[in-house]
Amino acid sequence: MQSESARMTTAHEASYRVQYPNSKPRAVKVIALDPASAEIVDEISKKSWNGAAFFTAPAFSTEETPGATGSGLKAWLKDLAGRTMDLVSEIEHCDFAVVITTAGADARAVSVIADACALYHKSLVGLVVPGSDDSDAAMAESMKHLRPYTRMLVIASGTDYIEAMLTALRA
Amino acid sequence: MLKKEQNDYLCQTNPGTPMGNLFRCYWLPALLSEELPEPDCPPVRVKLMGERLLAFRDSEGKLGLIDEFCAHRGVSLWFGRNEECGLRCPYHGWKYDVNGQCTDVPSEPAESGYAKKIKLKSYPLIEQGGVLWTYMGDPEKQPPLPEFEFSTVPLNQTFMTKRLQECNWLQAMEGGIDSSHVSFLHRGDLSNDPLFKGAGGNKYNMQDLSPVFEVVESDGGLLIGARRNAEDNQYYWRITPWVMPCYTGVPPRGDHPIHGHFWVPIDDESCWAWSYDYHPTRALTEGELAAMKDGKGIHVKYVPGTYIPLANKTNDYLMDRAGQKAGKTFSGIEGIGMQDASLQESMGPICDRTKENLVGTDNGIIMARHRLMRAARALAEKGTIPPGVNPEHHKVRQAALLLPRDVQYKDGAKEALVARKGVRQTSV
Repeated sequence: MQSESARMTTAHEASYRVQYPNSKPRAVKVIALDPASAEIVDEISKKSWNGAAFFTAPAFSTEETPGATGSGLKAWLKDLAGRTMDLVSEIEHCDFAVVITTAGADARAVSVIADACALYHKSLVGLVVPGSDDSDAAMAESMKHLRPYTRMLVIASGTDYIEAMLTALRA
Repeated sequence: MLKKEQNDYLCQTNPGTPMGNLFRCYWLPALLSEELPEPDCPPVRVKLMGERLLAFRDSEGKLGLIDEFCAHRGVSLWFGRNEECGLRCPYHGWKYDVNGQCTDVPSEPAESGYAKKIKLKSYPLIEQGGVLWTYMGDPEKQPPLPEFEFSTVPLNQTFMTKRLQECNWLQAMEGGIDSSHVSFLHRGDLSNDPLFKGAGGNKYNMQDLSPVFEVVESDGGLLIGARRNAEDNQYYWRITPWVMPCYTGVPPRGDHPIHGHFWVPIDDESCWAWSYDYHPTRALTEGELAAMKDGKGIHVKYVPGTYIPLANKTNDYLMDRAGQKAGKTFSGIEGIGMQDASLQESMGPICDRTKENLVGTDNGIIMARHRLMRAARALAEKGTIPPGVNPEHHKVRQAALLLPRDVQYKDGAKEALVARKGVRQTSV
């Protein structure tokens, strides 16, 4: 008698897989950490997405004490229309966040975003793309900032990967 | 997630497809040397990327990989007689050399030159490291021979097997760069398998089940680093190289031989999973060889006389529910190779990626797909030679090492990631 596995792994049987959706749209926050990556994110945001929201990270500050975390954390993002948005609230209502920086740029803002992600147990993915300085030192500097905070850090050779990644993640 | 047309683009490798054209830029493993052990031995049927071929070794030891079917009436030359520097069709006696050139049509006068006008398609077949490699692309663009370290060390330092995997090549290959599944599917094997156990680095795998990943593009493909916390402000890094289109390396453990894979399409619904083990600086021990031949490590036991795994879908992979419940294996399937293959085959012959839900830690897979599509498009539109063709790209090594937390692995492991003759692997 033919085994269950042999019967169920045919192309014919694959056609019987249920066609109902197996997931709901995810809320993904994509945050540019520096002016150059903000331009890239601005361009990408013009495409069609499933609920991804795009932001830039201006200089962060905390309301009570510098470096405050937990309930004391207060920091702001700007959406691409220039409106100021509450970072903590945005992260609270997302499924995961993606930060993007260009090699060699000041990416220190990631630490505050990471604090917000930690507060609400959200994953943070970091992406470094080429910038005006493509030296190894510049790349190392960017990675030094992002590494402590991201569960996945990607160093891409081109900005086209950002769109590919967000599409793959159903952003 | 991929759109259906993207999935088709990546999965289809038959002649004339974009990915088929990409694969035809590379030297690929076609057979084991043991399959054609001596001059005039029986020919072997080979299907690669949707082309049915026949491999044989002629009376002088020359290797040939030719169209399987006789140009006369289309019978399979597998039934042929391999004799006197050629393969003779048993139907009407037409004979072919290793280049597919017809050398004899008995029904026609030799002086007529009829035979010279008959030629079967053929591909070069060369022997290196116990493997017979072929290049199935444009002869004018044939690249230099491959220089993967496993196939260039002395033969007593390397061991290669292959097994049939009944699913599309891409879902098999993606398993090779999906580092995050190891902590689940293969847990248990680190402490039991003779080719893994005892390595100092194993404790980091067992202690930290939530590795953090870094994906870096390399000249030939990708480097995928998985880091785990270690003592003294260090990280334990395991770095997996992927060389386009279908080579993956597994980071080493202690002084055990290094292993990895090639994932070569047979057609769109099956592939050969090639599995190598080698040591850069010493001969493999009798114990190691015995374990490999017994299907340990990444190798498998076979249905006798075949390259079909003994545990396969016709016997439900010898599922052991009691062993699964007892924690002997996580999935109930024994052996790392079949643990992977059973799940990848369960996806169906061609995985429907329109339904998948990837997460951030799947970026190695996302990047690999992106690079494959980008390279296939560049080849089609501009004739750009894809990454991984240049033999310099083959000289990459997998590595496992401890690094200070503030050191980028691409820098800290720079030397460890390069294959250097006579230099031991970097491993913990």
